[in-house]
Amino acid sequence: MDTVERLAGGSYPFDVGWRKVMMWWFIVTDGLLFAGFLASYGYARILAFHWPQQSGVFSLKYIAAMTFVLITSSATMASAVQYAKDGKRSDALKYVLLTAVGGFVFLGMQAYEWSHLIREGASLMKNPWGDASFGSYFFLLTGFHGTHVLTGVIVLTTTAVRLGNGRTRPEGVEMAGLYWHFVDLVWVFIFTLFYLV
Amino acid sequence: MRGYWATWSVLLVFTVVMLWADSASLPRMAFVVFMLAAMLTKASIIGANFMHLTSERVPLITTVVVGLLVTGAILYVLIVPDAARIHEMAARYGPR
Repeated sequence: MDTVERLAGGSYPFDVGWRKVMMWWFIVTDGLLFAGFLASYGYARILAFHWPQQSGVFSLKYIAAMTFVLITSSATMASAVQYAKDGKRSDALKYVLLTAVGGFVFLGMQAYEWSHLIREGASLMKNPWGDASFGSYFFLLTGFHGTHVLTGVIVLTTTAVRLGNGRTRPEGVEMAGLYWHFVDLVWVFIFTLFYLV
Repeated sequence: MRGYWATWSVLLVFTVVMLWADSASLPRMAFVVFMLAAMLTKASIIGANFMHLTSERVPLITTVVVGLLVTGAILYVLIVPDAARIHEMAARYGPR
């Protein structure tokens, strides 16, 4: 028995449409990009002699609220995908829009957090709390993630418009959903590794 | 639909427990291990329930999970000893 048969894949090892396969490939490669950033952050963190205490820099309650917004938007997105599969287009549209609103709120909160830290003297090159790379990694990680959230909001808004016009099939909503959950998944790692540990 | 909101509740509970652990005075190693375990559990829950990975075929699940976790772990494990070495050198030869 060869490997493909043993994994029950047969002639169609993934047994999903090409869009979904491509979306998963994108998620894996983009995930590896984040893994590279996080590994590099781990290196800098161990290397640093004076890494700032996060609770002294951030309001963890505020970051927890940002996490809450993102987790909630993931739940609304999952509901939108299910409604789209069930053929309930107006409900799917409502939940896609709710998810986009969640994304907007998250971006607003992140913009506030950035402006607050910049006012306190943080930049890519220096910060008042400790090792210089703290600021670099903060802006790099949260900025790259925020760019993904912004892209997600654009994708969700486009999906909502197309859904409203009846031009998006359930698979389209599912693809937008996969991307949005990936954004949430990455935040789980950033929240834990950068803000808590 | 209720399943998604149950997942949302579990993720929320995990987040609250992680915040509690951050404010509790746990030993550093126990704290880090707990946080990493909670983080991977949360990520698995999102992948399994929200991204429906559990309903996909084994080859797709294997490609995604092994591709991300193993490669990520290798990236980290390969470079971390070098960072730790700097501290050994600082202890031996004095600060930078």
